[in-house]
Amino acid sequence: MGMEMLSPMTELIDGIGNALGTVLPLPVSLGTPDVVDGAVYQPEMGVLVGVTGDFRGRIIIQASQSVFSSFGMNMYGMALEGDMLESFVGEIGNMIAGSTCTAISQKGLTLDITPPTVLVGHTKLSGFARALQIPVGIDGVGELQVLLVLEEHLSQQ
Amino acid sequence: MARIMVVDDAAFMRMMLKNVLIDGGHEVVAEAANGMEAVQQYEAHRPDVVTMDITMPEMDGIQAVRAIVSIDAGAKVIMCSAMGQQQMVIEAIQAGAKGFIVKPFDKDKVLAEVGKLVPNPV
Repeated sequence: MGMEMLSPMTELIDGIGNALGTVLPLPVSLGTPDVVDGAVYQPEMGVLVGVTGDFRGRIIIQASQSVFSSFGMNMYGMALEGDMLESFVGEIGNMIAGSTCTAISQKGLTLDITPPTVLVGHTKLSGFARALQIPVGIDGVGELQVLLVLEEHLSQQ
Repeated sequence: MARIMVVDDAAFMRMMLKNVLIDGGHEVVAEAANGMEAVQQYEAHRPDVVTMDITMPEMDGIQAVRAIVSIDAGAKVIMCSAMGQQQMVIEAIQAGAKGFIVKPFDKDKVLAEVGKLVPNPV
């Protein structure tokens, strides 16, 4: 990964770690990030939120339906499925991305988020040059994957 | 008890807020999934308080606040924002919103914010 990508990506990783700890009411542990080239396959369910402002990119959070459903149970005491689960997944993406950008904004960068797009089913995500995929373990629930994509031509600021 | 309208494009958030408000002794008299519906429902129901999401299709929450305040200068609107939308919250307050709460919601904070606006509801 080029040095020009290092700072915004580092900020995003730090921000995601803080955001997950803030939003999810469970202990979380970030695994080792992997660089992904060109495409990634979503196994079951995910949410994509765009980041705009001083740098631009996308935050994608992927997990199984049962993991997302467990978040709903832990956060709000509700068993969620179907349309209501999809709606909840969109809000989870909104909260995590928003909290990430807020943490980064405290370091002097101005960032905003776009409305979440919920991704359901087995999907190939492409259209980016490189991304970082970070496995996140959630105590007692399972694992989710966070994918961070930076638009390189804008990341040189 | 206050008569409240809940506005959010996410069905889950509407359900969650509705449960919190009803558990808190309030009545949810209307729901809307976008700003346009919110303005129509406000005119029809004249709720004591509105909880308003910011980012929604058709008409966003800030435009909806402006429209509602133009109908009723005394309207009490609480903005519901994700973190990272602080600038939008400021715009909404300038447009006439009276308070804000940040997602993920804490039940007590939601009820406290409503209580600030309707301390002695009829």
